Amino acid sequence: MKEHEENYMTEPNDREIRDALRQSFPPVNTELRRDLWPDVLRKLDARQVAVPWYDWTLVGLSAVMFLAFPRWVLVFAYHL
Amino acid sequence: MDLLQRFTHGEIDAFETLVQQFQGDIYAWIVRIVRDPGTAEDLTVETLWRVYRARHRFRPDGNFGAWARRIATNLAIDHLRRSRPVQSFPTEPGGVPQPDPLVQRETQERIQQAFRRLPAKLQVAATLALVEELPYDEIASALGTSVGAVKLRVFRAVRILRKRLSHAGITPK
Repeated sequence: MKEHEENYMTEPNDREIRDALRQSFPPVNTELRRDLWPDVLRKLDARQVAVPWYDWTLVGLSAVMFLAFPRWVLVFAYHL
Repeated sequence: MDLLQRFTHGEIDAFETLVQQFQGDIYAWIVRIVRDPGTAEDLTVETLWRVYRARHRFRPDGNFGAWARRIATNLAIDHLRRSRPVQSFPTEPGGVPQPDPLVQRETQERIQQAFRRLPAKLQVAATLALVEELPYDEIASALGTSVGAVKLRVFRAVRILRKRLSHAGITPK
């Protein structure tokens, strides 16, 4: 910090700004109040359940195909 | 196989152990930057989720804490960019400091406002160096840059802030 002040904070007003910042931003409590693991796990599960982009592409292609060739719907339904 | 290797292979138990070990440090780092406990918790969860997603890129012989902190810093910078206030405060003709506590409080609020309008990268460097008084090498490591670059960012932040406060008629005491 001292080295920094020597190099960069040469004007008295700079030091005043630093002090003003310290007064304007009171210390924050850095202690974590709760375990965040359940939230992380929930987020991981939520993202895993999400349908991947290639599945959506397949659905889109199927829709286009059925619109273009409606009779294929019957063939598709037969094989389900 | 050690813990970090198991983590890179996607073992959820290993990841949970790392979360329990590092979530406090990551939260403490983020809350120093964003200065809001609720936001810091959300960003910590997001950081840990990204850490897990990026596990393949982590080398098991590397420093997990430093790597996670860098991801956390980038997320905090993104958050500051998104939440940056756009409105400016009105300018005043005189900059005479007054001892009235209410006036002082208003001045502090306006200094905060001016500070939050700084570019996010300058804001983070100045917060960590000037408000939190953290060592420059620690800040440089978290920002993924050099100590010289951090000093320059702090220098630029102070210069911009001084100019804006002077323009608004605020004289810090």
